[in-house]
Amino acid sequence: MNHFPIEAFFAVLAGMALAPLNLGVINKVKAFFAGRKGPPLTQLYSDLAKLAGKGAVYSRTTTWIFRFGPAMSLATTVLALAMLPLGKTSALVAFPGDFVVVAYLLGLGRFFVILAALDTGSSFEGMGASREAKFSAIAEPALLLSLLAVLTVAPHEGLTPISAASSALFGAAWLAAVPVLCLVAVALFIVLLAENSRIPVDDPNTHLELTMIHEVMVLDHGGPDFALIQYGAALKLWVTSCVLVAVLIPWSFSLTGANALVGMIGISALAVAVGLVESSMARLRLTNVSQLLTAAIVLAGLAALLALSGALS
Amino acid sequence: MANTYWMPILLLWPLVAAAATFALRSVRRVLWFMAASVWALVPGAAALVMQVQGSGSVSAADGWLYADALTAFHVIVMLIVFVLSSTYAVGYFANDKSAALTVRKARRFAALWLTTSSAMMLVLFSNNLGIQWAGIEATTLVTAFLVCTHITPASLEAMWKYLIICSVGVALAFVGTLFFAAAMERAAVDGASTLLWTDVLSHAGELDPILLKTGFIFVVVGFGTKVGLAPLHSWLPDAHSQAPAPVSAIFSGFLLNTAMYCVMRYLAIVSANAALTLWAHELLITFGVLSMVVAAAFIVFQHDLKRLLAYSSIEHIGIIALGLGVGGLGQFAALFHVLNHSIAKMTAFFAAGRLGQQFGTNDMRRFARVLTTAPVWGGGLMASLLALIGVAPFALFMSELQLVRAAIAQGRVAAVVLFFAASTVVFIGALRLAIDAAWGGETAAPAGPPATALDKVLVAVPICVLLCLGLYLPEPVQALIAQASSIVGGAR
Amino acid sequence: MNVVAEFVLVVLVLTDLAVLATSRLTTCVRLVAVQGAVLGLLPLVLRWPTFDLPIGTLAVSALALKGIVFPWLLLRTMRLVEIRREAEPYIGYTLSMVVGVLLVAVSAYLSTQWLPVSAGNAERFFLVGALAMILTGMLVVVSRRKAISQVLGFLMLENGVYAFGVVFLRETSLLVELAILLDVFVAVLVMGVAVHRIQRGFEHIDVDQLSALKG
Repeated sequence: MNHFPIEAFFAVLAGMALAPLNLGVINKVKAFFAGRKGPPLTQLYSDLAKLAGKGAVYSRTTTWIFRFGPAMSLATTVLALAMLPLGKTSALVAFPGDFVVVAYLLGLGRFFVILAALDTGSSFEGMGASREAKFSAIAEPALLLSLLAVLTVAPHEGLTPISAASSALFGAAWLAAVPVLCLVAVALFIVLLAENSRIPVDDPNTHLELTMIHEVMVLDHGGPDFALIQYGAALKLWVTSCVLVAVLIPWSFSLTGANALVGMIGISALAVAVGLVESSMARLRLTNVSQLLTAAIVLAGLAALLALSGALS
Repeated sequence: MANTYWMPILLLWPLVAAAATFALRSVRRVLWFMAASVWALVPGAAALVMQVQGSGSVSAADGWLYADALTAFHVIVMLIVFVLSSTYAVGYFANDKSAALTVRKARRFAALWLTTSSAMMLVLFSNNLGIQWAGIEATTLVTAFLVCTHITPASLEAMWKYLIICSVGVALAFVGTLFFAAAMERAAVDGASTLLWTDVLSHAGELDPILLKTGFIFVVVGFGTKVGLAPLHSWLPDAHSQAPAPVSAIFSGFLLNTAMYCVMRYLAIVSANAALTLWAHELLITFGVLSMVVAAAFIVFQHDLKRLLAYSSIEHIGIIALGLGVGGLGQFAALFHVLNHSIAKMTAFFAAGRLGQQFGTNDMRRFARVLTTAPVWGGGLMASLLALIGVAPFALFMSELQLVRAAIAQGRVAAVVLFFAASTVVFIGALRLAIDAAWGGETAAPAGPPATALDKVLVAVPICVLLCLGLYLPEPVQALIAQASSIVGGAR
Repeated sequence: MNVVAEFVLVVLVLTDLAVLATSRLTTCVRLVAVQGAVLGLLPLVLRWPTFDLPIGTLAVSALALKGIVFPWLLLRTMRLVEIRREAEPYIGYTLSMVVGVLLVAVSAYLSTQWLPVSAGNAERFFLVGALAMILTGMLVVVSRRKAISQVLGFLMLENGVYAFGVVFLRETSLLVELAILLDVFVAVLVMGVAVHRIQRGFEHIDVDQLSALKG
């Protein structure tokens, strides 16, 4: 590369800066549907500032893993952010096959959070950890198959980076790929709900430990660690929205910065959609959650089949 | 091709009669009217057969109805079965003390019975493969309610299994028909859209072999479900054992053969395409032998007489499929076997029905000394069972012998070995039960009602015909069967 | 044109998979109704620029029968029999869904074997859909416990056969397609009566318990 990728760099910075705002959007939407005014959009920033100033208490049963977990999960999420496109821009780090790396970076982060939860030695955290592990295990094929479908259906030669594939999907190519993209969109949306512990997979506002999945894993973190966790969760929402938004936008602009702007608007729109879903549904029974995730795999598999048969014919 | 007006008449008369039954007021009248309506078909059918003999083939309705030697042969078999079964039904239901028919039930029975005969004739006469298929589906739908004439949990179960399994099978058979239609269209044949069997046959050589092959598999599997080929036969024993005896008689006597007739028509098309004949034959032989083996395995531990007869039907259908697969003389033997099996099975079901009424159960272990307590029907049962297991000099022995000879001449050793193994097992299994029923049991068994003259006729005539056919096959019959088998082999 | 074909295929396959995954029978019937309605439009879509009256009548009658009449018949039977939910099928819902996708893959493979090289993409898509519907219909018939669900499976199977016919036969023999429609109509009617009969005789329509006749 001869020139510094300004747009991609700006995209990463925007993601890191604006992620907490995104979470605020979701809460505002939920409050609106509940007839409340809700917390201000910048609430998470204030929370993070407050948490960063606090001290932390560490139990004697925990080891270094407990302190390492939050930092590791944030680090992997930032790395994934660097590899994903914002709208139709290309990513900061892009190489053929990077979609696998993205999926497994997220998995690595999750792995360390689970380890940290198990490290506390408490049964509640262990229960949450096992549920989280199971659901993400089911969600992973859906994610990989969806990304594979997007790669196959985009105009390309050979294996391309995921960001290159999504930026190539506009205009006529996008129109031709609409059926596959519809299926991919639904599958990725379900995966997004699962990864970010949103209703109908998990209720982020519940205070009953027995019904928690993600919240219970982070029950014992406090202070700066918890700030890292909260921030990491917001960033994860941004990251998982990236591909979905990039795939759903049908236009590409040549004006620098326009694509990134459109991408940001798209991510906020997606946050509103998540808020809508959360307000209109109840949380599913745990057995039905695996059914929902299997449905996501099925949809993604169907999309991949369609894309492959389209590519072969 | 000469034109005839007999076919539409034969198709429409049963429907008119079915509607007319609703005007009758007593069970006896309804049943006698039903029997008389079936008898009324005989002159028309005889005229049709004469016409076919005279001009080789006849058609009607602008070529949509068509009758050749194969059709004529099957019409003869059908009428033998239907006429005798209808006559039998009168006595059967009159004797049915435990579950007497109400007038409504009797009317419904008669209407369904007559509609079945019309639907079967539609299958036989139709030249359009799509209409033929619709006829088969119609027979399934109409006969389903004949199965549960007497409503019991078991008969409802049997009816449901029959309805679902056969409907699914027949739907698959339609996919096969579509393959044949697609092959016709691909070959850019004139009039492909009407899918007439005569057209497809004459263009068989030009059609795409892959489509024909796939279509034929679907047809065999689909219609094979209706025919009762293993492993698609699971509805058969239940339907036969739960239906009243006259219905079982037409099931085994002709319904299975209707579906086999469709398979024969498609076999004719495939045989006319030289590349595929051998493959199609192998397929049929496999299914035939499999059916025989499965039937033999299940017959061994049957003690319900009607289920035993049902598995015997599966075995004989396997024999017919085997004969069709052997080709040439084997197909002649198969068609001869169709005739013999229908007559023998029908008689067996007649006897089974009346004996079941007499003893109150179909369980053969409860039958006591049937030869003394019910000489006519007991004798009929024994004779037909002996015929069915292939005892000489009944006609079934002759047709099976011809089949084996044809198979050996072709070198189908494995098939012949399995044939003999299965037949032996069936022989032993059925005979053991039959001997027990005939001479075993308590001496103080209740004697049945005295047999009427009609009963004696119903038993004597089929048995005599089987004996005669076994000893001497009359020339006209032989010629008809030979013509029919050459049609199955792909001749025009 | 190809996009529309792909869309239709996706709708057909999705309705099938949704039926495999749902336990609520009314939802299943409505899904099959949607499937039937889409199939009614299939002949028009396939021959888009050309339109003639026979194709139009076929499309309208198929739409009416498959989209409205059959579901109505089934819902009426369900009301008579007072059934709302399917019991846990022999193959669980999740596994049925996965098997359904595998069947779609099988159909994709088979369609490459049977279509000539000259066939267009649209034809290929519809053939895959038709085959998938046939296979899924058979799966439903085999794996469900309630008799009504088996009738539903039969309807899906016949939908697949109908689609098969529309795809494979260019100059559709209208009489044949109409014959199928009529036949399915009568079949569903008959099956509805049969189910009602079973319920009166048994007080349930659990096919699973219709297993007294064995051997």
